[in-house]
Amino acid sequence: MTDGARERLARAQAELLTALLAGGPSPGGFDERLLRVEARSLLAKRRGIVAMLAPEAVDALADRFRPLFDEYALAHPRVAGSRAREDAAAFTAWARDRGALPPVKPKRWWRRTAS
Amino acid sequence: MGAIDRLGVGIGWRAEIDLTVERLPDVDFVEVVAENLHVEHLPESILLLRERGVPVLPHAVSLSLGSADPVDAHRVEHLGSVAEALGAPLVSDHVCFVRAGGLDSGHLMPVPRTRDALDVLVANVRTAQANLPVPLALENIAALLEWPDGELTEGQFLADLVERTDCFLLIDVANLHANARNLGTDPNRFLDEIPLERLAYVHVAGGVENDGVYHDTHAHAVLPEVLDLLGELRSRVDPPGVLLERDDNYPSDTELAGEMAAIRAVLAGRG
Repeated sequence: MTDGARERLARAQAELLTALLAGGPSPGGFDERLLRVEARSLLAKRRGIVAMLAPEAVDALADRFRPLFDEYALAHPRVAGSRAREDAAAFTAWARDRGALPPVKPKRWWRRTAS
Repeated sequence: MGAIDRLGVGIGWRAEIDLTVERLPDVDFVEVVAENLHVEHLPESILLLRERGVPVLPHAVSLSLGSADPVDAHRVEHLGSVAEALGAPLVSDHVCFVRAGGLDSGHLMPVPRTRDALDVLVANVRTAQANLPVPLALENIAALLEWPDGELTEGQFLADLVERTDCFLLIDVANLHANARNLGTDPNRFLDEIPLERLAYVHVAGGVENDGVYHDTHAHAVLPEVLDLLGELRSRVDPPGVLLERDDNYPSDTELAGEMAAIRAVLAGRG
């Protein structure tokens, strides 16, 4: 195999994932409708996994969960090697930062935790 | 390399249905998602199945062997160690990529069916095989889109892959249905083109059609069309094994047993 084959494939695959996950330009030659179907499907899968891992955020955000998650996801595509739990934690932190979720109350050292 | 021993009819083991899998009648073998297991802490249910002599086959989803990126040695090593811990006769992953350009798609993506992409895949598969203790089987995926400028049909692509790497095939008839429905793949031509003598086993799964797109959800009942494709395959070859995959929205034990019985009926020519 030539290094050229690997390089050409790397470019093409990166271009496709950037388009599907991060709102990058559509790579040439693909069916635009199918690109949209695929992008939606990948987003729905990711949203479903985060919803399963962060049910309290889903409850708190209610109807706002989906649009907020979709905005977060487009701006923060999953990085290779990252874990789903990290994705869920990053989303809740992002939602907190923009005031959509209440801030985490710092634990007071004198509070009795066992009640 | 020899043929695969007879596996029979099985079901995908998932933690959510561990008791179901243990008590379903006639589970000849199971499959586990390799990435979900730690060799040091295998689930009790899996150990119980092994004690009963039920083969447990590790199925990987993250090797990304179709990626232009070099093979991740740690992932291959993990898959191999799971296979050894389970005494598995073979392992599997998919003909796909999940990582590129530093991003993770979170799902199995199709590779271009070009000579370039095939060369890269072959090199990656050989690297994985050299570092695995047991044979590797590779599965056809359900794709929602198709790369432009394909030089080979999906069947030819898989046939060349087998020819050059001596890997086994894991044929998913639900994925075959998905590609026929969504991309216009001809399932009969696919079955004619692949080397069926290298078939390790078959996947059967449920899905749902929304807005004219078939989604391979593994969370719905198996469609009759998918069982028909299993019948088409059965008319060409007696597969060593067939495995039902269910990953979400779990139905009753009776319903799962019914789907396994339907698979057996097709295999016996009563479908």
